[in-house]
Formats: sequence, structure tokens, C-alpha cells
Amino acid sequence: MFLTRSEYDRGVNTFSPEGRLFQVEYAIEAIKLGSTTVGICTPEGVVLAVEKRVQSPLLESSAIEKIMEIDRHLGCAMSGLTADARTMIDHARVTAQNHAFTYDEKIKVESVTQAVCDLALRFGESVHDEEAMMSRPFGVALLVAGIDEEGPQLYHTDPSGTFMRYDAKAIGSGSEAAQSELQDKWYKRISLFEAQKLSLRVLKQVMEEKLDHHNVQLAQVTPETGFEILNEVKLKEIIDAM
Amino acid sequence: MDSIAHPTQRQFNPYSDNGGTILAIAGADFTVIAGDTRQSEGYSIQTRYAPKVFPLTDRAVLAVNGFAADGNMFVKKVKQRLEWYRHAHSKDMPLRAIARLIQTMLYARRFFPFYVYNILGGIEEDGTGAVYSFDPVGSYEREACRAAGAAQSLVQPFLDNQIYFNNQQPAPGTSHPVHLPLPTILSIVIDSFTGATERHIEVGDGLEMYVVLAKGRGVQGLEDVRGVQELSVTEEGERIFVIRRDLKKD
Repeated sequence: MFLTRSEYDRGVNTFSPEGRLFQVEYAIEAIKLGSTTVGICTPEGVVLAVEKRVQSPLLESSAIEKIMEIDRHLGCAMSGLTADARTMIDHARVTAQNHAFTYDEKIKVESVTQAVCDLALRFGESVHDEEAMMSRPFGVALLVAGIDEEGPQLYHTDPSGTFMRYDAKAIGSGSEAAQSELQDKWYKRISLFEAQKLSLRVLKQVMEEKLDHHNVQLAQVTPETGFEILNEVKLKEIIDAM
Repeated sequence: MDSIAHPTQRQFNPYSDNGGTILAIAGADFTVIAGDTRQSEGYSIQTRYAPKVFPLTDRAVLAVNGFAADGNMFVKKVKQRLEWYRHAHSKDMPLRAIARLIQTMLYARRFFPFYVYNILGGIEEDGTGAVYSFDPVGSYEREACRAAGAAQSLVQPFLDNQIYFNNQQPAPGTSHPVHLPLPTILSIVIDSFTGATERHIEVGDGLEMYVVLAKGRGVQGLEDVRGVQELSVTEEGERIFVIRRDLKKD
């Protein structure tokens, strides 16, 4: 790929003669360097699981935050340049709160996902002589999990601003192996507990280190309790049951 | 000779009062929203047919009363927001969401208000009949019934007595019904407007009553009504009907 590098690499919003936007494609590549993240949709709720790469024994593992709350009924897991995700999640949170303020109802999962994706292609945009707000595409992919009147849902977004709904989805460095494992093991009536175990089993297979409660994080969105990141005790229970 | 310059005051009043009255009553699984069609300014009738009641969605109807120009513009803006919502979220806006939207739209104009009193009626997500009433700057409340406009002071006490049974003693061993049947409510609405027409000069000419029926509710109570016209295209889901009556034109 790098052998064919050309001047079309440089402009963030210039199409190559073959009709490609290289910077967007490279941004999608950046995600494949990120830690593996898994999302599974069940009739009882949605599960999100991430691998936390603890680069140093002196690093406080609880400081790695790769799953975040958007609203009480919405959660989000990320892979790639996680710093970019903060901008997107901040936008998602504002959108969700604005919706609740204006309409006195929870925003739909698809609608927040759409709102986040609307941001994705704002790079290189400028008004008159002003500097563009974003110079490059986001280098992060998100798994947006949530529950609305249409039930539990899982969406995947990428730097091109495309979003798709999935029953189960893996992103990040181990995503290829993880995705094919999910394709084998996911079934329509899978329980929340089975999905929790499956997500960890999938992560375990693609992780270099031995999986324990320090290097993974698990979250869920259920109709009863909404979004929650599972605490160490619950996480250990699931790891033991795995 | 008057050589002293006297202080003068000028003012422009952007508002006028176009009279008329609106009213809405919620039943267990239906809602009636009604308004007269006279539009006047002072002692002059501008038109004998200016609708004040507007269907918004398959299950929401809005009645607007006060300054007619503001009312028409407000309805136009609400309808535009409903269409945007449909495109963004691929569904019709639920009734309570419309109620909240109307509040935010009215309060956005807190310092140059739309001079209108709104009453929103329809069917809630849970299938119950609902009425929401608003003041011009967006304060709102869900109620069982509400009258607004020129003859509010005549009609509301009547409704308080006939719908809420205020100042009525139930017969020994019985209690007042919580919800009244549709034919009773239609009679109360018609009586309210004939009464208001009799005693208020700004009320009259025509009466439009919109009836919203909950999903799966039959048309019982509407079969024998003269001149009832269905507005909804399917029998699935909520259904909207309109009933028109003449009121005295003097």
C-alpha cells in the first residue's frame, strides 16, 4: 500500500482518481492497531467487553477507560485513538440530553449513532477564511449499545461516518479472529449471562496476556438497570464461570 | 402661543385579540378537541370560517386561540418540527413529546411571546385519552378537560361541574364516574358552545369537533352522529374524525 503512495494521500478531502479518500482509509487502519473490543446483543440487553492493555506494571489499570456512558439507556465502547472518542462521546451526550430536554423522552439508539456519525466527516470543513475545526478524520471506531422502544440494539461506527447495526461485533487488533468466533457462537436467544461469558471467551482467545479482572472491562445495558460497568466482584464471578 | 415642547409617547402594539373559544376533553380511550370558527377584531367579524383546531399526527390534535396571526404561524412551526422529527427518528412524535416540544417552542419566545393559548389533545403512548393545556410562555399541565379563549370564564365552570362533578353530590350509595362515554362528552361540548355563543359576542358561526379514538377502539358513540367525517386513511391505529355544526351567526 505504501508503495503506491501519491499526492492524494495528503488532502483529507481529495478523492484519488480511483475514487478513494486515503486519509479516511488510513483512519480505518488505525483502528486495527487498537485493543480488541466486543459487543453482543441479546433479547435481555447488550453486553460490551474491552481488553485493557496494561503497558506497565506501574500503570493503574482502573485508569484505562474504554467503555463510557452516553445516557442512562446508552453505552459506548471504543477502539483506536481513544482520545478522539472523547469528542464523539461528548457530542453524543449533549445530543441525548438535548433530546430528553426538548421531547421528554429517551433518544433512540439509532438517532445518537447517527448524530455521532454526522461528526465523523466534518474534518477539513471550514467556513470562509476560518481555520477548519478538525484537520483529520477520527481514528476511532465505536460500538454503541442501548435500549429503546425497539428493544436492545448494537451499532458499529467507523471513521468514514458509516454506521451499521449488528447482533454481535468485534473491532480492534484481534477483530478478525474475534468476529469469526462470534459468528460461530452467537445465537438469537442467547441469554445475557451467556453473552457475558462469550464476550470474555472471545477476548481471551485474542489477548496476548492471560485474561483477568485487571485487563478486561465489561459493561451492559439492560431494561432494568440501564447502563452499568460491572464492578470487580461481578466481573470475577463471570471470569470464574467462564 | 404654545411654544413649550410637550413630552410625547408613542407605542406600537404588535398584538390583537381575535376572540373565539377552544376546548378539549379526554375520555378513557378517546379525546375530543373543539373550537368555534369565528374570527373577530373588536365588533367586526373578519371571517365566519377560520379554523382554530388542527390535526398534527394520527393521534394528536392542536387547538390554538388568541392572536390568530401568531396562532397560525405557531401551528406552522409545530408542523415543521414534527416533519423534521419524523425524518430524524423515523416515527411520529408521541403526544407527550409534542407537549414538551410546544413548551420549549413557546418558552424560546419568552420575551416576545406568541400571544396564543394552546390546548393539545390526543392519545398517549399507553392508549389513554389526554389533554395538555398551555399558557402563552409554555407552562403546561396534563388535565382531563380544559377550555380557553374568549368564553373560558363561561365554559370552564360548566366543565368543572359536568366533567369533574364539582359541587355535585352523588346519589346515596353511588359514586361519580371517572370517565364519561363519548356521546355524553359530545353533548357537553355542543352545549358548551351553544351556551358560549348565546352569551359571548366573539363566539359563534361554526363549530368543529375533532374526535381521536385509541387504537383498537371501535366507533361506538359515533355511529349515530350527524355529518361525522373520518380523516384517517386506515382503520388500524388511532383514528381521527371531525364533526362540524352550525352555531348562531348573530
